[in-house]
Amino acid sequence: MHSLDTNPLPAVTGAGTQPQRWVPTVLTAIALTYLSLVLFLPILNVFIQAFNHGFGPFWANLTESDSLHAIWLTLLLALVVVPLNTVFGLCAAWAIARHQFPGRVLLLSIIDLPFSVSPVVAGLMIVLLYGRNGWFGPWLEAINLKVTFAFPGMVIATAFVTLPFVAREVIPVLEEVGSDQEEAARILGASDWQTFWRVTLPNIRWGLIYGVILTNARAMGEIGAVLVVSGNILGKTQTLPVFIEEAYKQYETQSAYAAAVLLALLALVTLAIKELLERRTRIQSEA
Amino acid sequence: MTVSPPLPPTQPAPRRWLVYVSWPWRITLGYLSLILLLPIAAVLVKASTESPAQFWAIATSPVALSAYNVTFGTALIAALINGIFGTLVAWVLVRYQFPLKRLVDATIDLPFALPTSVAGLTLATVYGQHGWIGSLLAPFGVEVSFTRLGVGVAMIFISLPFVVRTVQPVLSEMERELEEAAWCMGASHWQTFWRVLLPPLIPAILTGVAQGFSRAVGEYGSTVIIASNIPFKDLIAPVLIFQRLEQYDYAGATVIGTVLLGISLLMLLVINWLQAWGRRYA
Amino acid sequence: MGLWKQVSRRWGRVGAIAVIALLCLKLLACTSLGNSTGKPPVEVTLAAFVVTRTVHEQLIPKFVAQWQREHQQQVTFSRSYGGSGSQTRAVVDGLDADVVHLALALDTERLQKAGLIQPGWEREFPDQSIVSKSVVALVTRPGNPKQIRDWSDLAKPGITLVTADPKTSGVARWNFLALWNGAIQAGADTAQATEFMRNVYNNVPALTRDAREATDVFSKQERIDALINYENEVILSAQKGMPLNYTIPRVNISIDNPIAIVDRNVQKHGNREVAEAYVRYLYTPEAQTVFAQLGFRPVDAQVAQQFASQFPHVEKLATAQTYGGWQKIQKRFFADGAIFDQIRTQIGK
Repeated sequence: MHSLDTNPLPAVTGAGTQPQRWVPTVLTAIALTYLSLVLFLPILNVFIQAFNHGFGPFWANLTESDSLHAIWLTLLLALVVVPLNTVFGLCAAWAIARHQFPGRVLLLSIIDLPFSVSPVVAGLMIVLLYGRNGWFGPWLEAINLKVTFAFPGMVIATAFVTLPFVAREVIPVLEEVGSDQEEAARILGASDWQTFWRVTLPNIRWGLIYGVILTNARAMGEIGAVLVVSGNILGKTQTLPVFIEEAYKQYETQSAYAAAVLLALLALVTLAIKELLERRTRIQSEA
Repeated sequence: MTVSPPLPPTQPAPRRWLVYVSWPWRITLGYLSLILLLPIAAVLVKASTESPAQFWAIATSPVALSAYNVTFGTALIAALINGIFGTLVAWVLVRYQFPLKRLVDATIDLPFALPTSVAGLTLATVYGQHGWIGSLLAPFGVEVSFTRLGVGVAMIFISLPFVVRTVQPVLSEMERELEEAAWCMGASHWQTFWRVLLPPLIPAILTGVAQGFSRAVGEYGSTVIIASNIPFKDLIAPVLIFQRLEQYDYAGATVIGTVLLGISLLMLLVINWLQAWGRRYA
Repeated sequence: MGLWKQVSRRWGRVGAIAVIALLCLKLLACTSLGNSTGKPPVEVTLAAFVVTRTVHEQLIPKFVAQWQREHQQQVTFSRSYGGSGSQTRAVVDGLDADVVHLALALDTERLQKAGLIQPGWEREFPDQSIVSKSVVALVTRPGNPKQIRDWSDLAKPGITLVTADPKTSGVARWNFLALWNGAIQAGADTAQATEFMRNVYNNVPALTRDAREATDVFSKQERIDALINYENEVILSAQKGMPLNYTIPRVNISIDNPIAIVDRNVQKHGNREVAEAYVRYLYTPEAQTVFAQLGFRPVDAQVAQQFASQFPHVEKLATAQTYGGWQKIQKRFFADGAIFDQIRTQIGK
């Protein structure tokens, strides 16, 4: 392979004109080996641990009212956070991808920053702001609004840790697509909203969808930051990941793994929507 | 259907531009301040309650220095490995057909959905002395659990989806005609890849690497389980922060947090700047 | 164009189904609690360290029934379980706990320092407000091939052991103290004891975040010869189907878990009476029997006698007071640059 690279003037040969057969096979094999090592085997292990005693214990644990509440709360959290971060992500992506301005790289880097904040510190930040001794603590107590150790704090914590996804998924696509079509639409008289809905959105849909999927998965799986700001009250502020952690701490390893499987499946609901959309698109383009 | 009137051509461009973008900008900046900047400000202010001398002493203690070294070094290597293999996985998923492709595609996101502690547990099991992979490595004297290698494996696992998911949409949007044209003009595979395919992918790959890197720097739940947490060996900085918190030393914890934030921001700036630069010359 | 209309309609439908499913779940989750008679219902929030969960989950329903019988008042408990240090931080930062059951008095003292608990809380309840106790256990492989029986065996070269990190696990500080106490009681002075501790921690290939993870590492890594853990964790692990082979060293330390009323919060909630009644209930023979069944050494003398066969006798039992109380212990051993830091720096380098 390297010898080919050094050849400055490509000779027109038969080998170069047709994609070779073995290339896809080899590349697929390498990709799948890599994924097996770092992804499939660990995940498979989770599934095996979860169900090696059958579904019985898993089911018994999940039908308790506390764990039902944990499932509900996890879904609710995702339901609030995902739209918030999607709107933000779209706005930020548009603002950044469509404009050149000083500090653009800085703004991008700042948007990336939440990932590198350790979840415990992310939780601590919110406690420092809204906790009893925090900046807004006394004021919040005076108007009797609970942010930390209640739902609003958990929303902020989850929004914080999942902030970058949509924006960062959409920006490369927006840049790749370019703005020609949007300008054409505008010259043809489309309003901003029409341009966005009919030109931009269809163009960036894959980036957007991946962003939403990742936001959703991470919003449901987040534990560190949420644990700090939720106080982990059973049946009130306990989310599914925290429920899993507690089951593990109680030496109920199997139900911890089983709940983890359930959580993983819940988080992938968005993937089903993507599937649906993909099929629609295919039908549409074939029609 | 209502159609807004076409723009009067005499309108000065800058003002239109301002009106046009103002709402997205307002939302971006408002939300960013509330969710991101304000909390970070809280941490910085808390850290600044330590005197500068004290701040310096905590931030540069030998244990902390070795923890930064482990954290950033390992995170960077993990991000680069994911950069290479993530691109490959994205390419395979977009361009080739193979059995169970959809299942493979769906599995990519699982590292985000699993709580990090579960990720740590399963990695510790699989890569442990008697685990599926660990037992294969053991005869070669390669130990994964309780070493920096283990920290690296955990970081690769939790940041795996980033590169795949940033490259995938760009690849889907890219026109195949380009590479076909290159082939028709007689370019070899390697040349097609290097000169035609890679340049437009680089921004997406770098985005994924940047995100994977920063995620790996912040990761705590899974790494703490697979590492031995012994200072100067594989103790990572987030564990150091947790240790400080456990001593009720909020200020000390935020000092280390601030240093991590600062270094991460610097490295992100470099990666993002490289990406912007790459775009300009692509 | 039509595509997007279709898609948005489809998404709308998916969304509607999701919302309905969620509401059903919510209804299931919030099963209505029977009708109340007499006094208005009252709520008590309990924050406890995580291994006590099984105990409280058994005792709370009993107490609630008893209170309903005697006072015609409905009590509901909000329960939160987590690491002792995390629970303490949460209460300091505004978790509205009325009762705190923590792993060590250091954490309760922290709440006192934050102005949430009045000084003198130790005298509010029997036994210095200690409601549950345990000792430190040495877990070994079946048949004990490395002949590990006492603290001194852990310092021998060629032994590997695992224990939680005293820096991240509040409870792991008891382990450190037990080792130190083992050396001191065997006649070592401070320098010798420090040397002993260095040798022991030199044999530790990994410091886990907490006791539970230490157990996990021990069960997964067969090359590790010993695990230092609390007796009650070992018993709980056996009850959950993970039996471990262990000995209780004859020189040991009493792991004392205090309980306290958070004065500021009960004042705010006006539920001091119920909260105190629950704590007092925990001291009754009935409740202490449950503690004993689930692996804690009972504080009630009679119950202790009854369960004597389950808990091996300890000859020399030291307490935190032996070493001047938790404030002094923390400063001497675990603070920045204190003995534990010195030891681990020497080992690491």
